[in-house]
Amino acid sequence: MKGRLWIGLLSLGILLGLVTAFRVFSTGFVLYAKTDILVWTMPLAAYIFFSLTSSGLAFVSSIPIVFGIKRYEPLEKRTVFLEIAVLMAGFVCLIMHLGSPLNVIYLLLSPNLASPLWWLAMLYGVYLAVLLASFWRIQTAQVSKTLSTLVFLIAIATSTALGWLLGLPDARPAMNGSFLTVYFPLTAFACGLAAVLLFSLAYARASGNPNPTSAAQADLYDEVAKVFGVVIGVTLVLFIWRAIIGGVSSSEVELGAFRRMMQSLSFQTELWLGLVAPFVLMLIPSVRVTTWGKVLASLLLLVGMFAGRLEFILTAEIMPFGQLGEGVPQFVSYLPTISEVLVALFGLAVMLLLYTLGERYLNLDGTQEKSEAGT
Amino acid sequence: MPKYAMVIDLQSCVGCGACSIACKNENNLSEGIFWSSKITETVGTFPNVRYHYMPTLCNHCEDAPCVRGCPTQAMHKLDNGITMHDTKKCIGCRYCMYNCPYGVISFNWEKPFKFWRDDEPVLKGCTPSPQEVVRKVNNGTATPYYNPARAETLAGARPKGVVEKCTFCDHRVKRGELPYCVEACPANARVFGDLENGTHEIKFLLGKFRAFRLKEHLGTKPKVYYIRNFNPAAYDRTKGGV
Repeated sequence: MKGRLWIGLLSLGILLGLVTAFRVFSTGFVLYAKTDILVWTMPLAAYIFFSLTSSGLAFVSSIPIVFGIKRYEPLEKRTVFLEIAVLMAGFVCLIMHLGSPLNVIYLLLSPNLASPLWWLAMLYGVYLAVLLASFWRIQTAQVSKTLSTLVFLIAIATSTALGWLLGLPDARPAMNGSFLTVYFPLTAFACGLAAVLLFSLAYARASGNPNPTSAAQADLYDEVAKVFGVVIGVTLVLFIWRAIIGGVSSSEVELGAFRRMMQSLSFQTELWLGLVAPFVLMLIPSVRVTTWGKVLASLLLLVGMFAGRLEFILTAEIMPFGQLGEGVPQFVSYLPTISEVLVALFGLAVMLLLYTLGERYLNLDGTQEKSEAGT
Repeated sequence: MPKYAMVIDLQSCVGCGACSIACKNENNLSEGIFWSSKITETVGTFPNVRYHYMPTLCNHCEDAPCVRGCPTQAMHKLDNGITMHDTKKCIGCRYCMYNCPYGVISFNWEKPFKFWRDDEPVLKGCTPSPQEVVRKVNNGTATPYYNPARAETLAGARPKGVVEKCTFCDHRVKRGELPYCVEACPANARVFGDLENGTHEIKFLLGKFRAFRLKEHLGTKPKVYYIRNFNPAAYDRTKGGV
């Protein structure tokens, strides 16, 4: 009964998403809170959130196969499947962001190799194909180290290329630079660890298959939580340095938008909910060993990181320049529309439905029997 | 091959906005979209106050960030230096808008010409609705003032979901005519020509006056130059005081 209700809820989310898609592509993007100033908003932030989380999951899934730390093997299958489900959610949000999605055929017919966006599109296409192949090998108990290594390398490329995409433009000095090419893979790893903990512990418990089922598994989750704490700590330090440099620097034109965003809800959510709170939770040993501690920290980090992706995009845009600044305030504000929220929920529902079906039919707890020899 | 550029004489420009209106007519621009626009600024406090007006348009940068970032080459450079856009190849990602340091690219957030799709007459029983006018004048295919010449090199009216921007009226330039904003300027404040032609007036202006371009420090090498500046204000020469 509980399972049916869950599937029903997810189906409703997808149905609402499909209705939104129909309305957006028939009426236009006026359903979004977009203008020629705020050209990228929540649908793209959701895409970045999901795609980076997928890359982070790839980092986690590479631990047992690529780096040979065998005690992480029980996580492998679930993590790889989660990567696929999360990536599909990213694709849903990306399609809802593009104005003319059918023209993507020109990515192949008329490629521009100088464009980070072209590289991202190609890398994500290959990424999905390799991920599917990798999961198939795991499913058939023939784990391929070659495919896993490829997934790991592409995940590094995609997460850094997203930093290239947002950090390249001279037009957006608040973003310009290499900071994002470091920050994105790091936070991707944090999101990957959070997703593994959340889905292995909370989701399993909710579906009536509580984890951990053995002392060895409990130790493994404790170890993941420790790594999780370390990664959040490093991220927090990087985040604080960005705030100090951006807040103290006198480059008003370059960093005025960032300073404005430091007062925003998304920035504060990323800092306090997404970084400080989970870091504190993971620092306290008595909390860290509990299931609720791990689950709460993971959930907070994911919520905070979603807000963070939005914060990064808005930082680039809220300060209009050139003729865009005519007749508008020095900073513009943003509040997502219902359609934009439904797009993010559409992606989430697709991901959760795929994962639910995977849990039900693909035995994601299963461990591999044999590995590919010599590779 | 010519390399086209434009010089805008800020001393001659009176800020009438004829360039923007001419551009909208020539290029079938929808509501809210301006390929030719302006940056205005009011400095000082009353009575020591001055209003500044600077016309803007796509700068047709030699090293155009919008072209570099476009994943499908929908935004591309022509041999004559014009930065052109291909509507068919545009995926509507808006990365060109994100990349453009001048904010001169617009996106079609919805179907163009919303006003002309309205079926409500202004005065019921007295005037036709905009939709009826379109049906009678143009068989319902375009606005009453639609310029079919624009469709020679670009979609006559750009559909929803793609970007658009100034093309230096490439369809007119191809026929040996001036961009329409240049043609329409009552003060001859806009001068258009070929940078490769050593005897062209544009070369004279660029040599005679200290021209500047917008955000030159970015190295995009814009092809819209500004010369002179109008300021009739005078002041009594003193050395100030403490």
